Amino acid sequence: MRKSRLIAGIVTALVAAGSVTACSSGGGSGADADTITFMFRGGDAEKAAYQDAIDRFTEETGVKVKVIVTDADQYATKLQAAVAGNKVPDVFYVEQGSLQSYVSSGVLMDITDQVAEQGVDLENVWPYGVDSYRFDGTLQGTPDGQLYALPKDVGPMALGYNKTMLEEAGVELPDPDEPLTREAWLEILKKVTTDTDGDGEVDQWGTGLNVNWTLQSFVWSNGGDWTNEDRTQVTVDTPEFADALQFFADLTTEKVTPNPEQAATLDTYQRFMAGEIAFFPVGPWDVATYNDLEFDYDLMPWPTGATGEPATYIGSLGIGVSNTTAMPDDAVKLATYLSTDETAQQTLVDANIQIPNRIDTAEEWATASDAEPANRQEFLDIVQDYGRAMPAAYTYSPQWYDELFVGIQPVIDGKQKAADYLAEVQPRMQELLDQTNEQAEQAAAAGAAG
Amino acid sequence: MTSTTSPATTGRRSPAPHGAPPTAAPASSKPGGGSSRLHRNEKKWALLFVAAPVLGYLLFVLYPTVFAAYASLTRWNGLGPMQFVGLDNYVALAGDERFRQALFNTFFYMIGIPVGLAISLALAIAMNRKIIGLTAFRTIYYIPVISSIAAVAILWQWAYNGDFGLVNQFLAFFGIDGPNWLADPTWAKPAIILMAVWKGLGYSMLLYLAAIQSVPRSLYEATALDGAGAWRQFRAITLPMVRPVTFFLVVTQVIAGAMIFTEINIMTPTGGPEYSTASAVFYIWKQAFQYRQMGYATAAAIVLGILVLIITLIQFRLNKRNSFAID
Repeated sequence: MRKSRLIAGIVTALVAAGSVTACSSGGGSGADADTITFMFRGGDAEKAAYQDAIDRFTEETGVKVKVIVTDADQYATKLQAAVAGNKVPDVFYVEQGSLQSYVSSGVLMDITDQVAEQGVDLENVWPYGVDSYRFDGTLQGTPDGQLYALPKDVGPMALGYNKTMLEEAGVELPDPDEPLTREAWLEILKKVTTDTDGDGEVDQWGTGLNVNWTLQSFVWSNGGDWTNEDRTQVTVDTPEFADALQFFADLTTEKVTPNPEQAATLDTYQRFMAGEIAFFPVGPWDVATYNDLEFDYDLMPWPTGATGEPATYIGSLGIGVSNTTAMPDDAVKLATYLSTDETAQQTLVDANIQIPNRIDTAEEWATASDAEPANRQEFLDIVQDYGRAMPAAYTYSPQWYDELFVGIQPVIDGKQKAADYLAEVQPRMQELLDQTNEQAEQAAAAGAAG
Repeated sequence: MTSTTSPATTGRRSPAPHGAPPTAAPASSKPGGGSSRLHRNEKKWALLFVAAPVLGYLLFVLYPTVFAAYASLTRWNGLGPMQFVGLDNYVALAGDERFRQALFNTFFYMIGIPVGLAISLALAIAMNRKIIGLTAFRTIYYIPVISSIAAVAILWQWAYNGDFGLVNQFLAFFGIDGPNWLADPTWAKPAIILMAVWKGLGYSMLLYLAAIQSVPRSLYEATALDGAGAWRQFRAITLPMVRPVTFFLVVTQVIAGAMIFTEINIMTPTGGPEYSTASAVFYIWKQAFQYRQMGYATAAAIVLGILVLIITLIQFRLNKRNSFAID
């Protein structure tokens, strides 16, 4: 008697609990027969622009889209939780650096054929953007792998300068086509670093760069790189690399940047916007904000090192499709729509948050007479000519890459020689890169077996 | 006067008078015959109510714990299949310098706990007096507790700015040239401790205030007659009487301190200069979600969990040894 009551109680509770969980699973994919879920991240401007584009997509195709937006810093965690909970959204953003693990875990669908069927002219989309999401099983970012996502955007990191300030200082404006050598650039930096109000304290600086986000340019232009071509050897201990890092660190000892320890903070960004800094990186997503600043600014090629060629990186985010989606056709259609449709692209470009994915649209956009900044073309030059992927964009995990920056502060502060530090950190990075590559192999093997 | 320390041994197992009166509840339910409809019905409901937390525990605590224990023995990227590797993860952890550093940082942050408790006790005593604007003060000290930690961390990040920050401006007022707090390996940790203390002050203060107010006035009066001064009263009466609260606060704050993450992640997203601010949970989170080593991260989490468990057990032990009761 007593026992049966207990059992009855537990069963009732279980049923109740079951119905609760059943309700909550309604939010996952495939709940409604004619709705696909799209998970992405971004600020308010981006949300609004995407909602616009999606509404139009629904209008045109009759496919309803449920949108899940997260904050930028929570996206990766939430997506992973969704995957673990078997509620993969039908369409979602995927980072370059996550692509391999999502492919080998069978989360991302191979969309090579479906995209071709959509009749999309991929020739008209930045090759860098498309190739970023090609993976042949060992190497990512090569033109002949299978396609696992389409670019949401490409994000060339250009160098900008405060035009008003340079003009006032009587400095010749940088040529949009002829890059400065880094030595010539340093001379300009020294010239504009001054005390403008005569109170004895310097209040205007040449630049103020964050080592995490700008060292790449100096290293690559100097002929150095993080790894060898097949990403198995860490090559940060080469003289080219050391020379570039030393130059970067010397910017602080030359006192053309605000303060030895500021590189780790956001301050230089704020100071650039306050008109206190002459040269600062500009990404397409900055344009909306920078266009409202009180001074004029423009873009220029990055200063060059030993190779004489400018270099910088291009970020990118992809739009992928779930392997387990109930509506693969519609999901691929949405991904291609957001990535390549002309009107959809126009909406996003008008919001000043990205450059066009379509090459023809982009060229028109760059040469527009009312372009602001005037040299928007620089963004396209980077994507077409001299931009590269971030060093860790195509490795299975970025831990090896992060290691370089953990202990770099003494070099920036001038307390340690770049070459010494790099020689010291290289073995640790190599060990982590080996681990990462091993991880990738095991994941690929496990994925193939599972 | 020595009686305040001796009860630790004498008063411990004193027969508590309030436990004496037998409860009358079982007697009253008997006459019903045991199988009335009402009774059955009530039992069913009782079971349901009991089942809810039990199921919740099984589903949301026990299952994840067991799952994590297993996951820590696997190589797993958090997405694909798991691969059993035995104790490999734990062996690797033993030689992982960054994990050790993160653990060290985590326990270093706990220096803030006694400091915070001392200040909040002092504040509680102050708030217990009749002063003008009492409610305003209490509110001011409690505001940080209910503020979002993310927002607070961002504000403090600005306050700690080497050039323009409020903290250094304040120090400059006294002619002190403050460091660039969050970018300096020696000052980053103290900076975070300072913020954590400030944030937790109101909560501890509130609990202390309640505890102080429940101390019988007669004790103070009796000692006053014996000629005890304010300091003596504080040491002999207030401090021992709020002991249970202190114990509670220390235990919960050590556990919470072991899980410090949000402020670290916001104020120093790279783990700080030379990894000087990275906490254990920060490290675990990085491994799990950025470096795709969910199995390894889970092993680290289990190690952290066991460490906290051990510390808590020691605390309970110590507390038992020193505890006493006043009837």
